[in-house]
Amino acid sequence: MTEEIFSKKLDRRTVIKTAALAGAAQIASPFVITARAADVVKIGLDNPLTGTFAAVGKNELIGCQLAVEQINAKGGILGRKVDLLVEDSTSGDAGTAVQKARKLIDRDKVNFLLGNVNSALALAMAQVSNEKGVFHVVPGGHTDAVTGATCHWNVFRVCNPTQTEANAVTPSLIKNMGKKWYYITPDYAFGHTLQAGLEKACAKAGGTKVGGDLTPLGTTDFSSYLIKAQAAKPDVIIMLPQGDDMINLMKQAVQFGLDKKIHLAGGQQELEALEGLPPEARIGTWVFEWYWNQPGVAHVADFVAAIKKKTGRVPTARTWFGFAATWSCKLAAENAKSLEAVKMAKAFQGFKLPPEIALMPDTAFYREGQNQLIPNLWVGNAQGKGSAGPDDLFHVTQVVKGADVSETLQETGCKMTWPA
Amino acid sequence: METLNRQTANIIVWLLLLAMPFWIKALGGYTELCTQVLVYALAAMALNFLLGFTGVLSFGHAAYFGLGAYGVAMTIKYLVASTPLALLVGIVVGTIAAAIIGWLIVNLRGVYFAMVTIAFGQVFYFITFRWNNVTGGDDGLTGWSRVPIDLGFTRIDILHNPTAFYYVVLAIFAVAVGIMAFLLRSPFGRTLLAIRENERRARFLGIPVERHIWLSFLISCLFVSLAGGLYALLNNFVDPRALRWDMSGNFVIIAVLGGMRSFWGPMIGAAIFVVLQDYVSSMTENWMSFLGLFFVLIVLFFPRGVLGILRRKSLS
Repeated sequence: MTEEIFSKKLDRRTVIKTAALAGAAQIASPFVITARAADVVKIGLDNPLTGTFAAVGKNELIGCQLAVEQINAKGGILGRKVDLLVEDSTSGDAGTAVQKARKLIDRDKVNFLLGNVNSALALAMAQVSNEKGVFHVVPGGHTDAVTGATCHWNVFRVCNPTQTEANAVTPSLIKNMGKKWYYITPDYAFGHTLQAGLEKACAKAGGTKVGGDLTPLGTTDFSSYLIKAQAAKPDVIIMLPQGDDMINLMKQAVQFGLDKKIHLAGGQQELEALEGLPPEARIGTWVFEWYWNQPGVAHVADFVAAIKKKTGRVPTARTWFGFAATWSCKLAAENAKSLEAVKMAKAFQGFKLPPEIALMPDTAFYREGQNQLIPNLWVGNAQGKGSAGPDDLFHVTQVVKGADVSETLQETGCKMTWPA
Repeated sequence: METLNRQTANIIVWLLLLAMPFWIKALGGYTELCTQVLVYALAAMALNFLLGFTGVLSFGHAAYFGLGAYGVAMTIKYLVASTPLALLVGIVVGTIAAAIIGWLIVNLRGVYFAMVTIAFGQVFYFITFRWNNVTGGDDGLTGWSRVPIDLGFTRIDILHNPTAFYYVVLAIFAVAVGIMAFLLRSPFGRTLLAIRENERRARFLGIPVERHIWLSFLISCLFVSLAGGLYALLNNFVDPRALRWDMSGNFVIIAVLGGMRSFWGPMIGAAIFVVLQDYVSSMTENWMSFLGLFFVLIVLFFPRGVLGILRRKSLS
């Protein structure tokens, strides 16, 4: 049948040749891109653009883009123009993330590597960047190990370790919601460490764990987990999934009417997830790692305005992660007056972010010997509608100082070894 | 005449492979991309030993690929820091699993065989996914890296020198491919072809069909687990995705893409697959659609794969 159609109207070989040509063009065109000027400073972003973390990954990208624009407007890094190279790491495939990291380092010869949202991918990438000796900033992968047990001299992190988040939010949770906790936890590095952190903090405050379940990344139907959780009769169900998983979980919990019987709350919450929820499902006590509505804090309004101009929406914590991570590259290079990774990393120990980058009430600094940024954290409640407009989805009750809730350097287990 | 052509083709293939790290850079590639092509090519050629030359479709080869990978990773991390020994352990683990599972499923045919291979593949996937303490679960197994090979008279630093690693992989690839080619030319290989063409007639001729399919499955899985081990060494990392059904699907796609009736077909398929994935994914986040479209086009218009087109062209 197909043969006939083709032979009558269109020579089959022509079709084949056109298809082959079109296919070849797909492969051939990017080769042109490799002819880039050699004197630019390259920042490679290897972050999710597809899958569960697509939304948060894209917001980090926007933050990076804004930072690069600002850096270039202010003369680049050490007088050289900055180029941002972006690769999709996927949301959960470490093989791809590692391959892309290699591509950025080996082929594109990036001076800085950024990524990843997914904690497991961040760990895998950190191993590559360490092996190659490239300055690496993790904007938003939270698992403790990144700047804990498997910390590296070249890997810096902007977002908080999960233990810090757990310590920040636990007192409010115990006070507002009760002491018997049930966990619904995503089954990967971030979830495991966040739950462990909360268990530790909860036990310290006199609370107990009555049960828990691990959910695979990308779960869409949480009903069986919710039924089990309800049967355990906890005071509060601690919900730890992120991204689309968090949206599905919260929606289903509210549809089941669980919010009428049991408190729903958790550790880390993000504006992206709250935006994806119907107003009645925006409930619970959480911790935010950065919030756009900070009346009276200098420079924040400018940043919010710049992002709004770019995207039409307010920045989220993720936007700020990308922004701060990219600026950290410039600050590290100019602080060390060099693009050599070892020199930059050494000079960056204990570095304090200037207020126009930190965008928070207290000083944020990279802790010496751990490379972990110690910023403020915002504890509060999700709200259907806030006083500062439709984007004000989080009611801040307390701004916590990172230094007060961070583990000590010894507790983190980070033992840094520098190259000889 | 034909054998002469085949020999020139072989020589060209090997020359291209030997020089790949040099010409790939001119085309905007990088050395690790070459190594990745080799690893996928080996896996797909091993699958094709079963698919193209025995006529049995397995959709669960990623299980043995992943077992090889975890064998290598866990040997280096927990037992001894030796790359050759780790590879050996990886192969043995993958092959033993294949021997047992192959024995269980060898009586099934066609789609039933394919479905049971998927099922067994997923069993291994969930074991690695769930067994957090040992396999690292969804996070994968980190904290180890390939170890330089000590040959006694010299040391090959495959960790810091990607080109050296490429040539080590190429050497292993050459041996593996050589063994497969030799097997296919032997009476054993001819018997497999006979089974592929007409299983009933082969049975009437007194050929123990089940045993041959089991052996073919075993050999195929042996080389797939070798490829898996090399994959782990390439990434210095392994996670449960290496065992999942979509990885198995990738191998089948690669084999079909390149041409599953020809010996070198899967390698062409691997080169296209890896390079396309690498470049298109840098340009658009919808890269999977392009890969899918390309595959659909190939299957619709060139059911014998890319090498099939070239071969037909040379005949006409």
